[in-house]
Amino acid sequence: MIEIAAIAGVATVQDGGRPGSMHQGIPHGGALVPIGLARANARVCNGRDEAAIEIVGTLRLRALAPVRIASDEALARDLEPLEEWTIECGAARVRYVALRGGLDVPYVLGGRGTLLSGSFGGHEGRPLRKGDILRAGSAEVQRYPLPPPPDPNARIRVVVGPDVERFSRNALDVLLCATFRISPRGDRTGIQLLGPALARLDGDQAGSAPMMRGAIQVPACGDAIVLGPDHPTVGGYPVIAAVVTADVGALMARPPGTEVQFIGAGRAT
Amino acid sequence: MKIEIEPFGDRALRAMLPDPVNAAALLGALRSHPHVVDAVVTERHALVVFDSTEPPDGLHEVFARVLNTSTVAQPGREHTIAVRYDGEDLSDVARQIGASQEDVISLHTAAEYVVAMVGFLPGFAYLRGLDLRLVVPRRPTPRPRVSARSVAIGGPYTGVYPHASPGGWHVIGTAPDFISFDVRRGASLAVGDRVRFTPVAH
Repeated sequence: MIEIAAIAGVATVQDGGRPGSMHQGIPHGGALVPIGLARANARVCNGRDEAAIEIVGTLRLRALAPVRIASDEALARDLEPLEEWTIECGAARVRYVALRGGLDVPYVLGGRGTLLSGSFGGHEGRPLRKGDILRAGSAEVQRYPLPPPPDPNARIRVVVGPDVERFSRNALDVLLCATFRISPRGDRTGIQLLGPALARLDGDQAGSAPMMRGAIQVPACGDAIVLGPDHPTVGGYPVIAAVVTADVGALMARPPGTEVQFIGAGRAT
Repeated sequence: MKIEIEPFGDRALRAMLPDPVNAAALLGALRSHPHVVDAVVTERHALVVFDSTEPPDGLHEVFARVLNTSTVAQPGREHTIAVRYDGEDLSDVARQIGASQEDVISLHTAAEYVVAMVGFLPGFAYLRGLDLRLVVPRRPTPRPRVSARSVAIGGPYTGVYPHASPGGWHVIGTAPDFISFDVRRGASLAVGDRVRFTPVAH
């Protein structure tokens, strides 16, 4: 059992996500960086998708009962009652803190993660606050190799489409050749990219279309937004390409100011 | 009928739909297809998300079967939603269309609506069927916060906000008793459902 002793930034409970409800307007959700979640869980012998704390900023926690705990970057340790531990993101966008056994929060609509736009899941459907108490769960012990962290320099693979014909011919070349930077504007719904504009051929259409995590959607201003785990399930902006599932976390892991280059991946058919 | 299906990332496909389609039947058929994790049907598109990078076999046949079936659409569930027409944009909407507030209320309650799609927020249903006289452009600047249970109109749609959120539609009332989203049941309104609004006293 732990208590949130102090927090600067945003911390929420997240897990492997809740697929299967997009038709109700509920996105998959899940960790912003699934590999980060898996790394924290691996260190305390949880399954890789077990619920843990996702931190953007700094979190200080205090043990209220003996607890085994780890982050994606720090080895597991055993905290005795009233012992404290501070986790800082530092240069990382996000950190994960896992407790042995996971977190004892309710299973809601197929997952334990927090969906802020729906005010449900996680701890009371909201970000953690000072004084909140979280109990460890009773997930079985699982042992597997520690996954390597995402490569901060790897090119991010994208599948072109489905709205590429709504862009100037040049826009796809720009997407695949230019270097973009991660904007400070971003959260679990999506992150903005800074770089050359991706020129569109038409205005916003009245109707909305289904959206996906990893979609690179482009508002009229031309600055791309890559949709994150808590994206709206429908949207009106055209999508020039979509990041492949395995690379979305690697992109979301990059903090503001870092660089991104894209590379075309093979098409699903 | 040949429909256009394109990749959307490495684990999803998006189809362009000819109009009109039996959206509820299509959604049901796609969601029950093997290896399909998620499906979303909007007015012009269907999204199918699958469980690997290998698209499931037989998706084209699912689309062909549903789109070529000319049976009468199964009517969706019916909902009647009580509305207190006290929205902060009611007088502005009336002014924009050159009518009285009472006219706006009677136009909004006279129509029967169909859920065209669900999205934007968990449980947010876009309702089609708005009287053409009530079709007004969205607010030039979205409000940073629209209260939960607000009844609003925007472009050709009307709907009820399930949660407090930013919003660009015109708020014309409140649905005090309508729960459009619940953590046990999920969304109350599904694609194809039919909705009527009935006025209640302030």
